[in-house]
Amino acid sequence: MALEAPTEFVQAAETALEAALAGGATHVEARVVREERESLSVEGKAVKGVERAEEIGIGVRVVAEGVWGFAGVPRLDPGSAAGAARLALEVARSSRPLARAPVKLAPVAPATASWSTSYQRDPFQVPLDEKVSLLTAATRAMLEVKGVVLAEAMADFWKRSTLLLTSEGHRIYEVILHTGAGIQATAVEGDEVQVRSYPSSFRGDFAAAGYEFVEALRLVQEAPRVAEEAVALLKAEECPAGETNLVIDGQQVALQLHESVGHPLELDRILGSEVGFAGASFVRPEDRGRLRYGSAAMNVVADATSPGGLGTFAYDDEGTPAQRVILVEEGVLQGFLSSREDAQALGLPSGGAARAAGWAYIPLVRMTNVNLEPGEASLEELLEMAGEGIFMATNRSWSIDDRRVNFNFGCEVAWEIKRGRLGRMLRNPVYTGRTTEFWGKLAAVGSPETWKLWGTPNCGKGQPEQVARVGHGTAPALFLGVQVGSAR
Amino acid sequence: MAEEIPVLLGEERLLEFLEGAVQAARHYGPAEVLLLRAAGGLTRFSRGHVHQNTAKEEVEVRVAVEREGRVGVATTSSLDLGAVREAAARAAEAARVLPPDPDRAGFAPPRPFPEVKGFDAATAASGPGERAAVVAEVLSLCRPLPASGYLETGLEEVGIANSLGLMAHHAMSRAGLEILVEAEDSTGYAESVSSSLSGLDPGAMSLKALAKAEKGRNPREVPPGAYDVLLEPAAVGTLVQFLGYLAFDGKAYLEGRSPISGRLGEKVASELVTLVDDALDPRGLPSPFDFEGVPKRKLVLIEKGIAKAVCHDLSSARRAGTESTGHGLPRPNSEGPVPLHLRLEPGTEPEQALLSRMERGILVTRFHYSNVLHPKRAVITGMTRDGTFWVEEGEIKYGLKNLRFAQGILDALAATEGVGSELELVKEFFFGITQAPALLVRGFRFVSTTTF
Repeated sequence: MALEAPTEFVQAAETALEAALAGGATHVEARVVREERESLSVEGKAVKGVERAEEIGIGVRVVAEGVWGFAGVPRLDPGSAAGAARLALEVARSSRPLARAPVKLAPVAPATASWSTSYQRDPFQVPLDEKVSLLTAATRAMLEVKGVVLAEAMADFWKRSTLLLTSEGHRIYEVILHTGAGIQATAVEGDEVQVRSYPSSFRGDFAAAGYEFVEALRLVQEAPRVAEEAVALLKAEECPAGETNLVIDGQQVALQLHESVGHPLELDRILGSEVGFAGASFVRPEDRGRLRYGSAAMNVVADATSPGGLGTFAYDDEGTPAQRVILVEEGVLQGFLSSREDAQALGLPSGGAARAAGWAYIPLVRMTNVNLEPGEASLEELLEMAGEGIFMATNRSWSIDDRRVNFNFGCEVAWEIKRGRLGRMLRNPVYTGRTTEFWGKLAAVGSPETWKLWGTPNCGKGQPEQVARVGHGTAPALFLGVQVGSAR
Repeated sequence: MAEEIPVLLGEERLLEFLEGAVQAARHYGPAEVLLLRAAGGLTRFSRGHVHQNTAKEEVEVRVAVEREGRVGVATTSSLDLGAVREAAARAAEAARVLPPDPDRAGFAPPRPFPEVKGFDAATAASGPGERAAVVAEVLSLCRPLPASGYLETGLEEVGIANSLGLMAHHAMSRAGLEILVEAEDSTGYAESVSSSLSGLDPGAMSLKALAKAEKGRNPREVPPGAYDVLLEPAAVGTLVQFLGYLAFDGKAYLEGRSPISGRLGEKVASELVTLVDDALDPRGLPSPFDFEGVPKRKLVLIEKGIAKAVCHDLSSARRAGTESTGHGLPRPNSEGPVPLHLRLEPGTEPEQALLSRMERGILVTRFHYSNVLHPKRAVITGMTRDGTFWVEEGEIKYGLKNLRFAQGILDALAATEGVGSELELVKEFFFGITQAPALLVRGFRFVSTTTF
């Protein structure tokens, strides 16, 4: 059954479109967005937060006199929609003397379409007490492990409905559902605080899916192991410092990929749009097809069509169809994440990666699902190939310089690798390196059986800052000769 | 601001809305309504040209309903009382199914609020034209080098009311400017935040950023190691804000997760260091109450190196058997209280005098993308950026390629041997606004280098 945009969406977007064109705009994108959100946080035996939010508004982006302008308001009445359009025109015209005009956009064929995430159980329809019961059962299971001072469980759900109307003839309605959950145990002793999380840190793992995703995580069953590892870390030895072979789990590979491949290959960063804030990139436009980014084992794609990813959609927020863009092939840079304007600057078609955080924000070049293609090895084979080294799991901290070269990552836990097998547990592990040198040390990537699409719901970029939800398909991976150490 | 977005809802309209909203919500039980509204614009420039220019109004009405000691929260972006009623019903439904919370603290009773000033009508009403004039000045002064950054103007309104009779409103204007200047192999930076556009000095900031970029040309590399450093206010702001979040959260303190858990009354920093949270300071962006409606007051966190207090919201205060210090975040907040108006008290020496005390060391303009390595020891890591210089015999000698640091914040404050006499307002991700001076710190730990 085809989805129909609510009448109030259509009326507001049409009103804004007409007002902008009447005011002299040469290009208009009117985007109406409603987002429902539910966030549950359980701590110990108590529910610390249940929040149900709903917001709605319209954002109008125009080109007038060859220059961009944007305005967003949290109302859909005709006066507000037309007012937002007029304000966007005023913003554009005020920029005219200072802008590099005219704006040029890579062509995109107009489309009329509707699309929705596939799911089985709508989390907003699942009874609240069912969701709360699951989370409290998980925290109770963690609290049964002696030494746990803080047991937390959380779940977050977002349903975003977007109608995009453009002066080029796009009429696209999408309903995207994101679902996630996780648990976390904290143990404290002396000057050590140790945390273990599952399935991922920072509120868990996320997917474009329904509540069935949460049920499949088996949070209650995993809780005792998570809690026991948090307590065991208090007594574990510090991760030794030195250069060694490093195997990192898929979740940490996801963040490594995010920070050192995804962000530096955003074409707006490469062209300087973000230099004043998040920074630029060591990658130059002319590096495409030439730069050796990593070893031959490195194959990375930006795939907005991956089923179930936080970066999965049918059309981006400029109306460009979702696509699979090869970023790195056998270690050589082949492509960028791009919007219509940035792609046009290089004479390329848009990569369909222009995404806005809501009605109040302009589309920026964002990651879709930036995936490391799987290799052939099982985790056991990766450890065997490492021989001697360290296995690190679950991200704890991340930091990278403003051109995405020098990075430092901390993980929640590590184990030493001795003669190809996991040995003793190690605490406070960190590793560091430089982006292309590090990816050049990639010896092997896990097989399709070990590959999983992770959700990163907290990617910040832009001013005003926008938070995007993006995906990363990864498998555990082996890197040879990496600098590791302790966070203390 | 353009007429299309109302500048200010204003006290009368806002209080009328809150009264109606609480009335609608209390049908379901004791209730609290928090209104957050922001309106304004941001003009962004990149390499000498405006490339993104936006205006927006955002509204968030957070309705909390209590049922038998359990609080549910629902949020709407509408100021329509019908939407508030629906939100209250959702909040009540959430509260109904929750298990009891042993830390439940209810809502704040009405109390007198301190008066603060921080609203400049002209700044709140500034539109894209006013911003363009300032940006034009910046771009012109920085030429021939390209400047990037942003200028933001606007206002924020906060109102809170509850069924105990609490009713409060506060409006503040804001202006923020960041300038980054690029030369071939160096960058320079300046930032400023104020409650008024006229409180910014774009001319001086442009020249400062330009001078740093010029001075940093042909950067050299120094090996990682421990160096004496002169940290300028933006860099100090990063350290102080991370410390505020890690150490002075009363909930983390009670759970033993804070670096100062059990150490109140002990020496944790140099006696030159006094750190306060003071939301009433007119030099900052003042605020009379927190997001739970508790009056703000100055709180001394570290006095002459001695840890004195931690922050509390209603929930952590109940656990600690004390009163909220006015550091509550919007409900529901599972993170704990956070100091959002930190001020590291200034010393007596101008930055130049601190520089003259350095024999050999590094001047750091700011840090980038810092993150926590070890929360209990308050160790963070990050990169230097936009103006890192080698200092010898009290003089800046040449620019340096950037370095990664990994440093315990309390260790750095213990090794502080000089505190600048001038405060600057600095902003870090998520952490509010901090007033920080420059610091002279011995033996700051740099662990690796980068290529630029």
